[in-house]
Amino acid sequence: MAKAAEAVIAQVEGERRFARSRMSLQITGVAMMAPALLFLLAFVFVPMGYAVYLSLYQSTLYTPQPMFAGFANYAHLFAAPDFWQAASNTLWLAVGMMALSLPVALVLALLLNQRIRGRALFRAAVFGPYVIPLVSSGLIFSLLFATDGGPVNLALQRLGLSPVNWLGQGRTALLSVLILTAWQFTGYYAIIFLAGLQSVPTSLMEACQVDGGGRWQVFRHVTLRALGPSLFFTIIICLIQTFQTFDQVYVMTGGGPDGATTTFAYYIFEKGFQAFNIGESSAASVILILVLACLSYLQMRLSRRWVVEES
Amino acid sequence: MGGGGIVKANPVLKSASYALLTIAAALCLAPVYWMIRTSLMPTNDLLSSAVWPAHPAWSNFAAAWRAQPFLLYLWNSVFTNGAIVALQVITSSLAAYALVFIPLRGKRWLFFAVLVAMMVPMQATFVPVYTMLSAVHLINTYGALILPYAGSAFGIFLMRQGFLTLPRDIVDAARVDGASEWWILTRIVLPNSKPTIVTLVLLNFVYHYNSLFWPLVATNTTNMRVVPVALSYFLTQDAGQTLQWNYAMAFDIFAIAPVVILFLIGQRYFVQGVAQTAVKG
Repeated sequence: MAKAAEAVIAQVEGERRFARSRMSLQITGVAMMAPALLFLLAFVFVPMGYAVYLSLYQSTLYTPQPMFAGFANYAHLFAAPDFWQAASNTLWLAVGMMALSLPVALVLALLLNQRIRGRALFRAAVFGPYVIPLVSSGLIFSLLFATDGGPVNLALQRLGLSPVNWLGQGRTALLSVLILTAWQFTGYYAIIFLAGLQSVPTSLMEACQVDGGGRWQVFRHVTLRALGPSLFFTIIICLIQTFQTFDQVYVMTGGGPDGATTTFAYYIFEKGFQAFNIGESSAASVILILVLACLSYLQMRLSRRWVVEES
Repeated sequence: MGGGGIVKANPVLKSASYALLTIAAALCLAPVYWMIRTSLMPTNDLLSSAVWPAHPAWSNFAAAWRAQPFLLYLWNSVFTNGAIVALQVITSSLAAYALVFIPLRGKRWLFFAVLVAMMVPMQATFVPVYTMLSAVHLINTYGALILPYAGSAFGIFLMRQGFLTLPRDIVDAARVDGASEWWILTRIVLPNSKPTIVTLVLLNFVYHYNSLFWPLVATNTTNMRVVPVALSYFLTQDAGQTLQWNYAMAFDIFAIAPVVILFLIGQRYFVQGVAQTAVKG
């Protein structure tokens, strides 16, 4: 009897100790999450909520008492031509990147996925522009597109054409920003595609070849299909990055001429930091966050296996 | 990324591939070449169309060096970004350890919060962050440059990806032997995650070294300028007067040199880091 009781007591003790250690494990876990979470809370989540709050008030940095304005800031934005100009410039850049940068990146990835000599060197050269600060390349491209003495105009003149004021006219200024952005990011997208290509099992390609598939069939049925996820991923990343476009616009054109190169992020900066219209700037921020949230949601849905890999 | 899908090419395709890749590499390097070429142009030759200066003016580099306190800007950049990356490694590895190795309640939600934080750029929150930091008088200090980035959602994500590849049994075994979580993290998990840590350090150091937006907003004196802010002043301040392109390009070379050196040393990690965040499956 006594023995049985002791056993029961021991078991209860053991369970209690186990429960305590589970408890302490929980506490340790929370403590380990705490530093990162507190910083994210203070500098991402609280500011996000604060931006929503500010977007509902009419205020500038110098008005001591902001007035509740409901959705007036949003209404102002939707009625303002320069807001729509910034939105359409951003979309124009995004479409431009998809038409110019992504196809080139795909071709580069296919080329780099071959067994050829100097592969690592080519890869480094193509990826290199991505690590250069956008401000630096903005400065370089301002020189390339300079009206006087810029190599692009020098080449045009040598061909007997008249020089173009690239950064001084709306359409060509936006085109110049697009060309710089494509130069900067194409190698980055190529590396993402390359990683997608290299996740294609060689056995699958061989199987297709054994079944009498030619080069084109292998490409269509195996390679292209396997690229699907990274293709979607890259399109969305490209959109997200375009909506944040700021640095190169700031150095190359300052958003001009006449707002022709003002992107969405640049618009928020101008409204908040130069015009000190905190209400409208915050409203635009909230819209940007909503757009990015939709894009990120799509990206997460499309790359399930990438996010939920823990069983 | 092993050489999984590498394709054998036939000779015709191979030569075409070489030609295309050479053109692509040339296009990528041409702007850099023109930067170097212009940095060596004598001042009275700036409008010349020569592809290489007849008499390279090496003295431009000395002049550019004297014209601006580059070492001060470089120190500001290296110090603040070094601090950012150090803090990120600490906060991210702690959080990722909890997410991967501790059966935490509400873990899914915590990870979801990390993913949400990853998508919000500073461009969307800078007004509130600025207001908060100015309320505690941190604007135009190193603190303003460092603190907003001390926690990194991307860092947590990357470290988590790395930790998930480690065998769990070792951690469980150590725990049964009575090892503390701290001991397991510092003696087992971190020493076995060196490539992930190096990737995080390199990618985020270069990312923050390169970015202009937040330092431009958060600082306003010459003393606090970081390299991208100093660079941006070339065009925005000199607007109207003719820009000394040769000095600007010489200065640009100083600015780019640190990241190019890091890239050449750690190329493998950059490429892997980018690939990992995209299609790690």
